[in-house]
Amino acid sequence: MNELLWTYVGWPLLKILVILLALVLLAAYLSWFERKLLAYMQIRLGPNRVGPKGWLQPIADALKLFVKEDLTPGFAEKFVFLLGPVLIIVPALVVFSVIPFGPSPHLFITDVNIGVLFILAVSSIGVYGIILGGWASNNKFSLMGGLRSAAQMISYEVPMGFSVVTVLILAKSLSLVRIVEAQKQAGLWFVFPGFVAFLVYFICGVAETNRNPFDLPEAESELVAGYHTEYSGMKFAFYFLAEYANMVVVSSLATVMFFGGWLRPFPNVSALAFLDVIPPLVWFLLKVAFFLFLYIWFRGTFPRYRFDQLMGIGWKVLLPVSLVNLLVVAYFVSLPGGQV
Amino acid sequence: MSFWGLLASVIPVDLLTGLKTTGKYLFSRKATVQYPEERKEPADRFRGMFGYSLERCNVCRGCEKACPIGIIHIESHWEEYEQDGKKRKKQVIDRYDIDVKRCMFCNLCAEACPTEAVWLTTKTYEAAAYERNHALYFNKEKLMHWEGVKAFPGMKPPAEGGLPAFRLGGEEEEDH
Repeated sequence: MNELLWTYVGWPLLKILVILLALVLLAAYLSWFERKLLAYMQIRLGPNRVGPKGWLQPIADALKLFVKEDLTPGFAEKFVFLLGPVLIIVPALVVFSVIPFGPSPHLFITDVNIGVLFILAVSSIGVYGIILGGWASNNKFSLMGGLRSAAQMISYEVPMGFSVVTVLILAKSLSLVRIVEAQKQAGLWFVFPGFVAFLVYFICGVAETNRNPFDLPEAESELVAGYHTEYSGMKFAFYFLAEYANMVVVSSLATVMFFGGWLRPFPNVSALAFLDVIPPLVWFLLKVAFFLFLYIWFRGTFPRYRFDQLMGIGWKVLLPVSLVNLLVVAYFVSLPGGQV
Repeated sequence: MSFWGLLASVIPVDLLTGLKTTGKYLFSRKATVQYPEERKEPADRFRGMFGYSLERCNVCRGCEKACPIGIIHIESHWEEYEQDGKKRKKQVIDRYDIDVKRCMFCNLCAEACPTEAVWLTTKTYEAAAYERNHALYFNKEKLMHWEGVKAFPGMKPPAEGGLPAFRLGGEEEEDH
């Protein structure tokens, strides 16, 4: 009985706690990393005053947000105003329960057999946090941000779904662990057969996390801060945290579905076996770090798209491209012996 | 459309060019000067804190007239003295005040001065104070000693023999 309790309650709780803590720290330090990288791209030095080389900057930021006054604007919908940050932070963190960080059963919380579906469903809820938060603030800038978020969602969710389906066809499974194992079996990452799908997925992923060049809902230069204009203190911190957590989610998902999760490059080529000295978890984190770097690189480079341009890209380019790509991949997989 | 033209229309070359540019600057030398620890030397003609030399001032009031915002206040009286058995008169300065907090560093006073008794090319700029009405109001003693002003390394206050860092008309020898 005691052992049963440990396997089904104690051990998962411990893992959840570790992952939550690691995630919050990661999100905080991701903001430091982003500020530093952006500064370097702009030939500045970035934060380097708090602690050695500015390493304590995120801690100072978090402390500041903790002690800040928590304002609720007059005439705001108090309950919905509170609900907004909750609705965005919870899905962003829940999604991590199915992401596999490594092969052994200890390196992920659970392996749901509809993992991809679960992630897509849950992470889509996060948009409600933005829409409701923007609406409840009783501020026209916030409302504009929320509405933009709603319109943005319908234009990127569809091509994203199709690009994910491409991977499902290749892997013949919805479980994230199985997808990685299928890539091991096939001997190559799915980015090679599904390169177009990967591009579509990552562009949509950038749009889903409201990052540059698709940061229309919080468009700093047009809408003050968009949907979180009126938020301060910990509520703002939740929005902030959720944005970075979502970046990690999209990056991990890209890693798992297209870049072989915890596998080393070309997992079946024995000539590259010396790469196995790097543990699987590190491989996974390295790939995720690369995608996070891409995010920041994009932010340092691209100007914001206009609203109609975003819709145009979503409906006129990404959707047809992902559909055609899906058909082509499905055709080749259905050929006799067409297992990738 | 040629093959390469088609390829260039599909591949977003402009976006990649942008990424290349920012990627290049990521590794370039940073332009930031970490101010309190390192500081750039201002140019010789940089106009900063006032220098004022009481011995060179002949109380012509050119600076007072030249100042567009009237922040230089001069008061003087005549004193008699004997030279070679003759009685002569000279002006003695009582008050020479500059309200530096209102100064816009136009250099017109320095240009009006025939004896280079007032100048701005001191390279010294650290005159910040917590209280501006008294700390940034300089009478002649404060002006001579740069009271409350941190001199730029290598520059001296006028009382210790500080001279302008730049002279219109070249580097002639000063005759004392």
